[in-house]
Amino acid sequence: MALRQTSVVVLAALIALAAAAASLTLGAVHVPLQDVLDALTGRADAGPLKEIVLALRVPRTVEAIVVGAALGVAGVLLQGALGNPLASPDIVGVTGGAGFGAILVLLAFPGAIALLPVGALAFGLLAGALVLTIAWSGPSGGATGRLILAGIAVSALFGAATTSLMVAYSDRVQSAVLWMAGGLSSDGWSGMRVAWPYFAVGFVVAVVLSRPLDRLALGDDVAESLGVRPRLIRLAAVVAAALLASAAAALVGLLGFLGLVIPHLVRLAGGTASHRFVMGASALVGAALLLAGDTLARTVLAPIELPVGPFMVVLGVPVFLWLLRSAH
Amino acid sequence: MLSVRDAVVRLGGAEILRGADLDAAAGKLVAVVGPNGAGKSTLIRAAAGLQRLESGSVCWNGEDATRLRGRKLARLRSFVPQRARVPDGVRVHEAVAIGRAPHLGPLQRPTRGDRDAVDRAMARAGVSAFADRKLTTLSGGELQRVQVAVALAQDAPALLADEPTSSLDLGATSVIARLLRGLADDGLAVVLVVHDLALAAAVADEVVVVSGGKTVAAGAPATVLTASLLSDVWHVDAGLVQRDGRTALHVDWLGAVSPSQPLPLNPPGVVVHDPS
Repeated sequence: MALRQTSVVVLAALIALAAAAASLTLGAVHVPLQDVLDALTGRADAGPLKEIVLALRVPRTVEAIVVGAALGVAGVLLQGALGNPLASPDIVGVTGGAGFGAILVLLAFPGAIALLPVGALAFGLLAGALVLTIAWSGPSGGATGRLILAGIAVSALFGAATTSLMVAYSDRVQSAVLWMAGGLSSDGWSGMRVAWPYFAVGFVVAVVLSRPLDRLALGDDVAESLGVRPRLIRLAAVVAAALLASAAAALVGLLGFLGLVIPHLVRLAGGTASHRFVMGASALVGAALLLAGDTLARTVLAPIELPVGPFMVVLGVPVFLWLLRSAH
Repeated sequence: MLSVRDAVVRLGGAEILRGADLDAAAGKLVAVVGPNGAGKSTLIRAAAGLQRLESGSVCWNGEDATRLRGRKLARLRSFVPQRARVPDGVRVHEAVAIGRAPHLGPLQRPTRGDRDAVDRAMARAGVSAFADRKLTTLSGGELQRVQVAVALAQDAPALLADEPTSSLDLGATSVIARLLRGLADDGLAVVLVVHDLALAAAVADEVVVVSGGKTVAAGAPATVLTASLLSDVWHVDAGLVQRDGRTALHVDWLGAVSPSQPLPLNPPGVVVHDPS
C-alpha cells in the first residue's frame, strides 16, 4: 500500500479512536475516560457511571461504528458493481423501502414502536428484492441501466406510499419527520440485536467481492472474456449492499448521503480505485465520520440533540466539494 | 486452433449470423471484413464465447467451446473489445493486471509470476512508459494499446480483436497494426475485425469476408479482395493496389454501381468455405 493510502487509513483510524473516546465520555453526564476504561475492563464499581457507559454509551458507539462502516461499504459495492459514481443505497430502492417500513410502524402502529427496526429492515429488503427481480428478469437481465431504472421506479413507489401515510396520519407526522432526518438512538442493544446478522452477511460478502469487483472495471465484455461472471458479481454486490443499507436504515433512519459520499472521499484522498483499499478504507472512514458526527451533534448544543443526518450533510458537503475541486 | 462452423446467432428475433465460418491458426493473422451490419462483430464474439449460438459450433483445439466456459476458455483466447469502458481512477498497470484474472481464484493474491506477466504484457504492447498514468488521461491509441496489453497479460495462445482501430487516427492505427502483426509472427493466432480493406490486405495472412450473416469468401487477401467481390459485397467500384510495400484502395467514390446485384456464389479465384 502506498504512503498516501496508508496515511488515509491511519488518519481515519485516529479520528475513529478520538471520536470513540469522545462518544464514550461526553454527553449529558460527563464520564471521565479513566472511568470509561474501568467500566469496559470490568474494574469499575457498580453505579450510575458504569451503567451509563455500558447500557447507553457503548451500544451507541458500536452502533455508529457499524452503521457508518455499513453505509460506506454499501456505497462502494454499488458504485463498483454498477460502474456508476452516482450509485448509493437510495438507488436500489432500499432506502425508500426502509423509510416506508419505519413510517408505517411510527404512524399506523405507534404502540408497537419496538418493531420499528424490524419494519424498516423488512421493507428495505422487500424493496431491494423487488428491484433485483425486475432488473434480473428478461433478456437483458442484470444490465446496469435496467437495475438503475428499476431502483428509481421502486423508490418512487415507496416514496409515494410514505407520503400517503404522512397525509393520512398528519397529526402524528412529528415523529416521522424526526426519524427521516436520521440519527442514532440511546435505546441500548435492541436495534442491533435485530440487525446484526444482516450486517455480518453484508460485510463478509463485501470482503469476498473486493477483488472480483476490480475485474469489472473495464466493462462486462472484458470481464466475461477473462472468465469472470459480471452478472453474478453484480447480483452478489447489490444483495450485500441491500442487506447493509436496510440494516443501517433500521437503526439510524435515512443517512443515504454517507453511502454516496464516503467512497468518493476515500478514492480522492487515497488516489486509487482499487477495491481492496477503497472497501476497507470506506468502512473505516464511514465509522469515523458517523461516530464523530453523532458525538458532535449531541454535544455542541447539549442538552439539545441535533439530528445527525442534516448535521452531517451540512458539515460534509463543503468538505466534499473542496475535495472535488482539488481533484485532478 | 479455432474453428467456427455454420454459426447461427439470433439477437432480438433477428438472425444476425446465418451460417458463418471462421478459422484461425497459430502464427497467422486473420482479418474479418464485411459491410456494416454484416455480422462481423457477432461472429468474433461468438468465436470468443461471448455470444451464444443458435446452432453451429465453435471449437478450440477440437474441443466444443460450450463445454469450455469461464477461466478455462479464458486461458485459450483473449478478446479486445471495440471500445472498452474507461473507468475513473484506474491506472494502466492496474488495468493490465486485470488480465491475470483467469490465472487467479476470486480471493487469490497475484504472485511474482503474475506481476512478471503483467510487466511483459505492458512492454510488448508498448505501454510501460505510462504504466502509472490513469486510463482517463490516455489518448485513443494509447487506450487501445492498453487493451491489447490486458489481453496479452492473459497469456492465451489466441487473440481476438473487434475493430480495435475503428476510432484511431492513421499513426495510431499503424502502431496497432504493427503490434498485432508482430504478435502473429511471435506465434499467436490473431483474429481481427476491421473495416479498412487496405489495412486488412496489408497485415493479414487471410481475409474472411462476411456479408448478410454468412462467410462468403476466405483466403489470401490478394485473391479474395478482387474488384468483382468489392462490387458484389460493398456495391462500389474499387480495387486494391499494392506497390512498394504500400497498400491502397482505389475507389470510384461517385461511380454508379447497381445496389441490388446478387451475391456471387463462387467468384473466380476465391476459396469459398465448405463446412463439410
